[in-house]
Amino acid sequence: MSAFATLASGYNTPVAVHGDVDFTHSKLNAQSRALNQFLAGVELKAFKIAQSALRHEHDALDAVQDAMLQLARAYANRPAEEWRPLFYRILENRIRDMQRRRTVRARIMAWLPAHRDDEDEQGIDPIAQAPSDAVTPARRLELDESMQALEAALHELPNRQRQAFLLRNLEGMDVAEVATAMGCSEGSVKTHHFRALKALRARLGEFSI
Amino acid sequence: MTANDEELGDFEKRARALLEESVLRIDGRIRSRLNQARHAAAAELERSARRPIWRSFALAPAAGVVAAVLLAVVLWAPRPGQMLPVGEPGSSAVEDLDLVADSDTFDLIEQEDGGFYEWAVAQADAGQAATS
Repeated sequence: MSAFATLASGYNTPVAVHGDVDFTHSKLNAQSRALNQFLAGVELKAFKIAQSALRHEHDALDAVQDAMLQLARAYANRPAEEWRPLFYRILENRIRDMQRRRTVRARIMAWLPAHRDDEDEQGIDPIAQAPSDAVTPARRLELDESMQALEAALHELPNRQRQAFLLRNLEGMDVAEVATAMGCSEGSVKTHHFRALKALRARLGEFSI
Repeated sequence: MTANDEELGDFEKRARALLEESVLRIDGRIRSRLNQARHAAAAELERSARRPIWRSFALAPAAGVVAAVLLAVVLWAPRPGQMLPVGEPGSSAVEDLDLVADSDTFDLIEQEDGGFYEWAVAQADAGQAATS
């Protein structure tokens, strides 16, 4: 009996370990599927938000990709309902980093001797100013104009106001989620959002679509 | 809430409709890139799950950081007889140095700007050689 018990326990142990490994794999697969589903649901809006802040398609794609990787690397173990505000917080940090990097680059370029002489010729970055949308059909001209006016007005907003507006009105997040994403109080979110609305209305009036 | 709520609500509705339309118009090329990014994130999740903890502390590439420090020294050390340039309003050399020396900036340098700073050091050196 005792020999059987010993034998049985000897056989049971590897089965249990094997079972643990399978469980880990299936948990990882489930997590991977859930993450994929989550990212598929936010990626287009996230790109639009990044593009609105950076006005540069390639940078916006990079920012979204970095945010996706960072979420997967560091926060995938958090409950899925926390992913959205976390993802947008990471994205916003990445956008800010890119804006800072542009500032650093611009200042260094201004300091470099070889570039001081022709800095007047450089003027505004044509890439940053390029329209972001492809050529549009004539029948949608009015819609296009409204869209471009809105995007231009959004770009003019301070970062925090733009962020609050887009997270509320494009991503459809509630005030609490936006507060988590922005790392501020709900009261601040309401203030930023209200100011954004006021500024947009002052700039756009009652635009039509 | 205010009496303008309904009016603001209409404005928000129009804005949202426009924004959603602009999302629908995102072209296939960008959608494809986002799709690739999403798959890369899923792969990263699996890599992270299998990576030993000590690998997380691997040394980051340092060449870009060294180049940035060199650049800061080269650019901000006053040369004999040199007048310091006037920066844009609200900025100063100290502010610029802070910006370059900021630890977050070093992260950025490590990630993607190393080549730029190495190039900038070469440019600054060439400029100094030409003026001396």
